[in-house]
Amino acid sequence: MSPALLSALLTTAHVAVLLGAVLTAAAYLVWFERKLLARMQLRLGPNRAGWAGLLQPLADVIKLLCKEDVIPAAADRTVYRLAPALTALSAILAFAVIPLGEPVQLFGLEHQLVISDLSVGALFLLGLSSLSVYGVTLGGFASSSKYALLGALRALAQMISYELPLGLSLAPVFLLAGSLSLSDIVRAQADFPFAVLCPVSFVLFVIGALAEARRTPFDLPEAESELVAGYHTEYSGMRFGLYFVGEYLNMLVLGSMGTVFFWGGWLGPGLPGPLWFALKVGLFCFVFVWVRATLPRLRYDQLMRLNWRWLLPLALINLVLTAAGAWLLRGGV
Amino acid sequence: MKLWRSIRGTLDAFWITLRTLFRRPATIAWPEKRRAPAERFRARIVLTRDPQGKERCVACYLCSAACPVSCISMQSAEAPDGRRYAAWFRINFARCIFCGLCAEACPTRAIQMTPDYEMCRRDPLSLLYEKEDLLIDGPGKDPHYDFYRHAGIGVAAPRGTLPGERPPEDPGSLLP
Amino acid sequence: MPTLTIDGRTVSVPEGKTILEAAEAAGVRVPHFCWHRALGALGACRLCAVTVLDGPQKGVRMACLTPVQEGMRVSTLDESSWNMRRSVIEWLMANHPHDCPVCDEGGECQLQDMTVAGNHAVRRQRGRKRTFHNQDLGPFIEHEMNRCIACYRCVRTYRDYCGGDDFGVLGSRDRVYFGRFRPGRLLSPFSGNLVDVCPTGTLTDKTSRFRARPWDLEEASSVCPHCALGCAVIPGGRYRELLRVRADPRPQPNDGFLCDRGRFGYGYANRADRPRQARLEGRPGTLAEAVAALRERVEGIARQHGPEAVLLLGSARATVEANALLSLWARRLGAADPVFDLAARRDGAARIFARAAPALRATLADVRQADLTLVCGADPLAEGPLLALALRQAARRGAAVRVIDPRPVPLVCEAERLPLAPTLVPEALRFLAGGNGAGLSQEVLQPLAETKRLFDAARRPVVIGSAEGLGPDGVRALLALVAGASRPDRDAKAALLLPGPSSFACARLASAVPNAQDLRRRLGGGKIRAVVALEVDPLAEAPPAVTGVIEKAELFAALDYLPTATVGRANLFLPSAGPYEQDGAFCDFAGRLRAFARVLRPGTPILHTGKGNHPPRTFSPDVPGGDAAPAWEILAEILGISGGLSGARAEIEKAFSFLQGLAGLRADARDERVLPGGEPPAPPGAPAGPEPAGLRLLLSDPFVGWEPLSAHAAVLEVLRPEDAVYLNPAELARLGLAPGARARVEAQELSEIRVARAADLPPGLAWVVRRRGSALSRLPAGEVFACRVAREEGA
Repeated sequence: MSPALLSALLTTAHVAVLLGAVLTAAAYLVWFERKLLARMQLRLGPNRAGWAGLLQPLADVIKLLCKEDVIPAAADRTVYRLAPALTALSAILAFAVIPLGEPVQLFGLEHQLVISDLSVGALFLLGLSSLSVYGVTLGGFASSSKYALLGALRALAQMISYELPLGLSLAPVFLLAGSLSLSDIVRAQADFPFAVLCPVSFVLFVIGALAEARRTPFDLPEAESELVAGYHTEYSGMRFGLYFVGEYLNMLVLGSMGTVFFWGGWLGPGLPGPLWFALKVGLFCFVFVWVRATLPRLRYDQLMRLNWRWLLPLALINLVLTAAGAWLLRGGV
Repeated sequence: MKLWRSIRGTLDAFWITLRTLFRRPATIAWPEKRRAPAERFRARIVLTRDPQGKERCVACYLCSAACPVSCISMQSAEAPDGRRYAAWFRINFARCIFCGLCAEACPTRAIQMTPDYEMCRRDPLSLLYEKEDLLIDGPGKDPHYDFYRHAGIGVAAPRGTLPGERPPEDPGSLLP
Repeated sequence: MPTLTIDGRTVSVPEGKTILEAAEAAGVRVPHFCWHRALGALGACRLCAVTVLDGPQKGVRMACLTPVQEGMRVSTLDESSWNMRRSVIEWLMANHPHDCPVCDEGGECQLQDMTVAGNHAVRRQRGRKRTFHNQDLGPFIEHEMNRCIACYRCVRTYRDYCGGDDFGVLGSRDRVYFGRFRPGRLLSPFSGNLVDVCPTGTLTDKTSRFRARPWDLEEASSVCPHCALGCAVIPGGRYRELLRVRADPRPQPNDGFLCDRGRFGYGYANRADRPRQARLEGRPGTLAEAVAALRERVEGIARQHGPEAVLLLGSARATVEANALLSLWARRLGAADPVFDLAARRDGAARIFARAAPALRATLADVRQADLTLVCGADPLAEGPLLALALRQAARRGAAVRVIDPRPVPLVCEAERLPLAPTLVPEALRFLAGGNGAGLSQEVLQPLAETKRLFDAARRPVVIGSAEGLGPDGVRALLALVAGASRPDRDAKAALLLPGPSSFACARLASAVPNAQDLRRRLGGGKIRAVVALEVDPLAEAPPAVTGVIEKAELFAALDYLPTATVGRANLFLPSAGPYEQDGAFCDFAGRLRAFARVLRPGTPILHTGKGNHPPRTFSPDVPGGDAAPAWEILAEILGISGGLSGARAEIEKAFSFLQGLAGLRADARDERVLPGGEPPAPPGAPAGPEPAGLRLLLSDPFVGWEPLSAHAAVLEVLRPEDAVYLNPAELARLGLAPGARARVEAQELSEIRVARAADLPPGLAWVVRRRGSALSRLPAGEVFACRVAREEGA
């Protein structure tokens, strides 16, 4: 077997395993969130399908697959069909550049634990997270329903706004790491994770990530108490399922980003790299759920004011100060 | 100061949810585990009888008017002795939310609620209770109340003979 | 126009109005029991207490008794009057029984509302409650005297407004008793209004006793279908059963009152034997099948035998839309106009009146405002009962009422009667208009001359006739009289009583020239092969010459909702919806189109499907017996008109220009649209045939028993008059008949046995009141026929 063929096979297997793992993780993230929320609200949570409700994600998927796929009569059918896929796709693609560990030796070949270690991986991630807004907005517009439209408008405005502090919060990280390659960023944190070096950036990132993932307290686009289900009001069956999965994939992506940018990715004592990585992502997800269990939803004006009046100036100041600090530290070159 | 309070208020909430995570859930896994409801628990509705054993319900429609889910329907009718009664009386328990407004609205103490709440069925028709299914043999709560003895229109006893009533007037009399 | 302030709202009302009326105008609700818009103030209940803050008499006053003055300041919220009202409620409740759950008024009871509004919840009075015995007031009104609060509304309605004299107030001090001297049926034909005016449950509707609560009723603004007056009613139904009819409280057109026929005559809609399923040649089928069969067969016969083989029968009780679509169908088939009325004389009269100028046509309000009313050849109590009530209101205002009629016409007011042979009534009208009175005897001319003086002096005279009583000749004379008397300073109007709620529109839809001869020719030619009867019962209403042709037709189709003889004989039957089961429009006797809204969907009442017990425990999307559709819908389907009622109305407006505006009528707003006048028909070519010699028979309609809807309402059976033949006492003696003897009456080859009775009639006249189903009743009313009355031997 030629090394080239072996490498191709390995990469294919890597993609398949990663895809399976990520989708399973997303499904069990649903179970994890429901169970955790229930316990934080003094409830039992899912406990019928399988032991402790562990088969619940499976049951949900079967249910969604069996449901009728309803398309509203006035909907733009092509866009309506494509939009959910766009959301899920942009989330899945992100895992292509996220490094899970140091390269390993497999069948005599050095195999990277990342599908593509782009030199501008961080930009790729930011670009994908911008892309995910299309899935939401197009789905809401194509439904031709007032709730969906309102949800889509909210999502559009919110995600465009919060992209700014999210991106700006990462800029100090790039400054300090001196690279846009994710592997390089991880390796740059061998001494101190960036969360410790620039805590303001980290806080800004978490807030921005919550908003990008449209999670409480920033879940205005799908505010069920006012908009039925927001942009996916009209969706049913597996198309709704794609949105649903996309949302949890997004959580994983943002968790991974947080891990890579701020908590040193796979780096950690004792345990193998990928395990450290999974643990850190899991902790991020726990925080996301914890926030959901704790904070009520913001009002729309509060949402906008928080971003433009607080987060954005803070991000800019943080960038300038970090840059100045870094410059001084390096001896004012 | 205000900012500090806001931050503390926000963080306190996180502490509370985290603490709650490790407390015992308040809900139980019915039907494997059951609790005994209180005696005045509001569940399955019954129709009671007055101390004489006659139907208390006078089909006044107040329960059906009070019902927020419109699960009570009936038809009133007149018996030969002048009593108003329900020719038929139907409660759709598939729709009932056990709010108790019917029992509260009932002016004759006919509708009362029992603690029997376990009434799930696959066939919705079997949750459609007719008068025969709803009537019980006793007076339930308030065992001595008899509406017609207070109504003052001479159904339970001839006019003017019950306590609280004067004998019928003679309109032909010119006495002052 | 004094201007005053009530609770901070400023309002100007005409001089002489009371504070209560001013408050109503300002939108302030003053609680009251005894005050009623139509009955006026009495000051019996003391509930309308208000505080006059600024005015000639300051302090707590009765709003219904205190006339307004310029600059008054009135408060209804002031503590003193509020306390007074609360005390009034408390003392009214002192004797009121504790029986709201079993009282039919509950839910629409003024006393209940006021008790809640007055915060009276705890009884402080320790004494025992006063009781009364109740009376049996007949089959319509339930009496529960214990509930009475002595507001006197019933007596004022029954005696003052409606002119009844067998109900009143007895007793003294706190035991005043409202009832009859002896128990028994209330004799006034307007007794049902007691139900509407009584603010408590003392007088309630017995026909719907214990059937439903008002909040459960499905109600809609509708128009009474029982006669041509077009009274505004609000029928209510529940569980597919029509349960009651109440008057619309708005002042127009019927002032918030109804006759017992309109109020209690709704039973036809709930009959167990009501035909609800389509029938094709004796085989039950669906309505869709029957509609298709009707269209195919009528069109087939028209193609095969020519359009003259099709006879369409319109109806005075079908909606205006249905009749117009029937006309349209006739046009499309190329057939002659539908026959809207089989009684040629009445039909001719109606067609002339339907083309009279709108300004000459009197409404009920005009009659109430009149200062002189002449009733010529009409029996308002039978043909349009509310007109008799309007006459009484005119009389109460001081108008003279003159009756020119052969019959002893019963009215509910004082009236001077001039008995005249039926054929002479038109001549009398011509005399009043300035004619020479040819053919009138001297003893008639003298009172007529006095009437003429009164008529010439009156400023708002109304002359009332009836289509069947006057005939075409009489209607011409009637219109000539009022047209000649109308000047800028006086407003003479005519009212013509017509047989049904759509009669006016039907007469307008028919051609101007009466085609009685034409009908006779069409029937006599032996060409009729298809007959379509739209909600009409020709077999009970037409003489044998006509019914023979109809029965022999190859296709005899009937659309109806009543179990009539025609429905029984028809070989194609289509169930149509009753008047309260559809949206549509009627046209009243003054040519005003009025829309009405559906109250219930057609269907067998749950009372019947459940056989008195609970509804069947089955799930089905179909309504049992719900196949019936409005007649206009059936005809629109046949004509291929889509778009429901608005589509049909648009098509009708296109085809008949005088029905413009039909589509815009709203039932709940009580919109009305006046039909324009038309080209008056040419005077008749040939004079009427010679007067039959010897004993002549005159038929007329009763209050109850002929009008098709109420004739099918079982509860009104008690009001049906005796089957009698009335004769002058001298005539009775001449024929050897004692009053109460059985007599055989024969006319036009029809005969019937009736009880002979004496009555104040002109000599040579035998008078028979029609009853649905009787043989003689197939002769048209109003006309006179040669007849024979003989003693019937045997039991």
